[in-house]
Amino acid sequence: MIDSFYIAWRYVAFNKIRTATLIACVTLIAILPLTLELLLTESEQQLLSRAESTPLLLGAKGSALDLVMNGLYFDDEIPELVSMAAVNELEDSGLAMPIPLYVRFNARRFPIVGTTLDYFDFRGLTMAQGRQLALLGEAVIGAEVADRLGIAAGDSLLSSPETVFDLAGVYPLKMPVVGVLKRSYTPDDLAVFVDVKTAWVVQGLVHGHEDLARSEDASVVIDRTDTNVVASARLVEYTEITDENIDSFHFHGEPEQYPLSAVVVVPNDDKSGTILRGRYQESEGLHQLVVPGTVVDGLLANIFRIKNVLDAVIFVVAIATVLALTLVFALSIRLRQREIGTVFRIGGSRLTIARLLIAEIAIIVSASALLCGVVMLAVNQYSGDLVRALFIR
Amino acid sequence: MDRRSWMTFFAAILWLGGSVGVAAERLVVYTVNYPLQYFAQRIAGDHAEVVLPLPPDVDPAFWQPDAATIGGFQRADVILLNGAGYAKWVSRVSLPRRKLVDTSTGFSDSYIDTEGSVTHSHGREGDHSHAGRAFTTWLDFSQAAEQARAVRDALSRIMPAQRDTFASNFLTLERDLLDLDARLKAIVARDPARPLIASHPVYQYLARRYSLNLKSLMWEPDAMPPETEWQVLAELREGHPATWMLWEGDPAPEIDERLQQLGVQSTVFDPRGNRPVAGDFLSVMFNNLANMERVFNQDIDN
Repeated sequence: MIDSFYIAWRYVAFNKIRTATLIACVTLIAILPLTLELLLTESEQQLLSRAESTPLLLGAKGSALDLVMNGLYFDDEIPELVSMAAVNELEDSGLAMPIPLYVRFNARRFPIVGTTLDYFDFRGLTMAQGRQLALLGEAVIGAEVADRLGIAAGDSLLSSPETVFDLAGVYPLKMPVVGVLKRSYTPDDLAVFVDVKTAWVVQGLVHGHEDLARSEDASVVIDRTDTNVVASARLVEYTEITDENIDSFHFHGEPEQYPLSAVVVVPNDDKSGTILRGRYQESEGLHQLVVPGTVVDGLLANIFRIKNVLDAVIFVVAIATVLALTLVFALSIRLRQREIGTVFRIGGSRLTIARLLIAEIAIIVSASALLCGVVMLAVNQYSGDLVRALFIR
Repeated sequence: MDRRSWMTFFAAILWLGGSVGVAAERLVVYTVNYPLQYFAQRIAGDHAEVVLPLPPDVDPAFWQPDAATIGGFQRADVILLNGAGYAKWVSRVSLPRRKLVDTSTGFSDSYIDTEGSVTHSHGREGDHSHAGRAFTTWLDFSQAAEQARAVRDALSRIMPAQRDTFASNFLTLERDLLDLDARLKAIVARDPARPLIASHPVYQYLARRYSLNLKSLMWEPDAMPPETEWQVLAELREGHPATWMLWEGDPAPEIDERLQQLGVQSTVFDPRGNRPVAGDFLSVMFNNLANMERVFNQDIDN
C-alpha cells in the first residue's frame, strides 16, 4: 500500500495545477458551511449574551428591533425618541433603576453614547487609563476607539455634524478625552461615552454663550426689554466647555422633556420586573418595555431561517462539486489509459490500479482536510472580531 | 500572663474587632450644603461619615468643584442634594443617578420662583427662560424637617439594619426644628405687618412661612453699595417704611453707620449654607431667632 501511496504522491506532485484545483474545490465546499456555522454560533452567543445581560429596555412604541439594536449595540438606526420624563416615571415607581441612553450622534464615525455613570457600573466597565467622567463636555472612550484613532486620555475628540449640509445646525463640540475603558469585547469598546447632558450639548439643547443680560454688542443684541433680550444669529455658542465658560452652560426648557433613545431598566427583582412589564403592556401610553433577550431570539430565528436556505444551497453546490470531481477522476482515468496499460504490462493487477486511484483521492482529501483545519482555526481565533465587524458593528 | 492579663488581651481584641466592624459599615455621605450635612450627621450618628467638601469661605450655592472633588462625590454611598435649583454645578457634572437624593422633592410643588429674571431668545428654539428659583429652603424650618425626613429615608434604605436608630435620631432633630419653627412664628406673630428689608434675596421661604412683610435688595455685606442702590433703598422705604434690615452676615461698619443715619438698623439672619466657624446649625439658628426677637421687641417697646 505504501508503494501505491508513493506512486500516487509522485503523480499528484507532478500534476500540480490539477491537484491544487481539486484540493481547492474540496476545501471550499467543506469550509463554507463550517465557517457559516461557526460565525453564526459566535454571533448568536454575542448577541444573546449582551441581550440577556440587559433585563429590560424602555423606548418609544415602534420597532422593538431598532430599539434593541440602538440601545444595546449602538446601531446607527435611531428609534423613536422618549423623554427624560420616562426615566423619572420609572424612578418614581421604586421598582427599578433606570439608566438613560441617548445614542444619536457620532464622533469620527464612532457612536457617542450619552448616559449616566450608572451605566458603567451596570456593564462592569472599568478604566484602563485616565479617570471617569466628571465635568460636562468630557468623554471616555472604548478600547477599540482608542486603538483605531490612536488617541488616549488627554487628547480630544470632535463630534460630527448630523448632516453635512445643515449649515445652520449646531457647531461640533470639542470633547476632552479623560479616560479609556478596559477592553470588554462588546460594542462598548467601539463607543465614545459622555454624560447624557453632554449629548444634549452636542445637540444644542444645552449650550453656553456670553451673558446676554450684560452684552453691549449691538450686532448681537437685537432687542432688549426689562424681561427679555433677543439675540441675533451672530451670538456665538461655545464649542468647547472650559473652566472659564462652564458656568454659562444652561438648559433650554424643562430638562424633563429632553430626548433619549432608550432607557436600560434594571428591576430590583424578578417580581418588580414582572410588575413593570405588566404596567407597560396594559398601558395605552407612548412607551414600550421590551425584554432584549426575546427580541434578539426573534432576530436569531430569522437569521437561522436564512441559514437553512444557505445550507440547502451549499448542499446542492456540494453535490454538484462531488459530481464534478467524479467526472474529473473519470476523465483522468480515460486520459491515463496509456499509463494504466503500462502498469498492466509490467504485471500490475486491476487491484493495483484501484489502489493507486484510492491513494490519490486520499492524498487530495487529506490535504483539503489539513487546509480546512488551518482555515477553521484562524476563523475560530478571529470569529469574535469578525462577528463584531460584520454583523454587530 | 495571668488570668486578668488574658481577659484584658481578649477584650482588646474584641474591641478592635468591633471597631473595625463599625468602621467597615460606615456609610460615606456627601452633601451639597451645611444644613444637609448637619441633618445627616444628626440622623446617622456614628454610622456615617458625612462630608461637605467645601472650602470654608465659599457659598455652596455658587461653588464649582474640581474633577477630584467630583470623584469623591461619585464614590460616596449617597449624595444629598438640596433641590430647588440649589448648587447649579450639579447639573454640569457627572454623578451616579442612583446615589442622588433630592431632599426637597416632597415639597417641590411649593418652590418659589424668583421675580425679576430675564429671559433671552436666539437660535431655532426661540424664547427660553432662565427664571430663577429660591433655594434657601431650610429657612422654613418645617421644610427643613421635611428635608431631614428625606435624609432619614435615604439612609434607612441603604442601611436598613440601622432603621430604628435613624428614626429615633430623626425624631430628636425634628423636634428641634419644629421648636425653632414654633418660636419664630411666635416672635413674628407679635407684629406680622412690620416692614423689613433684606439685603439679599435669600429669605423667600422664611418670609412665606413666618409671614414676614419683607422686601429685598441686592446688597453684599462687605461691599459699599453704589449711590444708585441707596436711591433704590430710599424709594423702597417710601412705601415700605422699614427700620430693620436683615443681613446674611455682619455688614461693613461704614454701611451700618450710613443705614443708621437713615434710621435703619442692621441685624443678621444667617442662612448658614456653609459650615459655621463656631457652633452648629442649631446654635446659628438660635442666634438668628435672638436677633429677630430684638427686631420685634424693639418696636413693641417703642
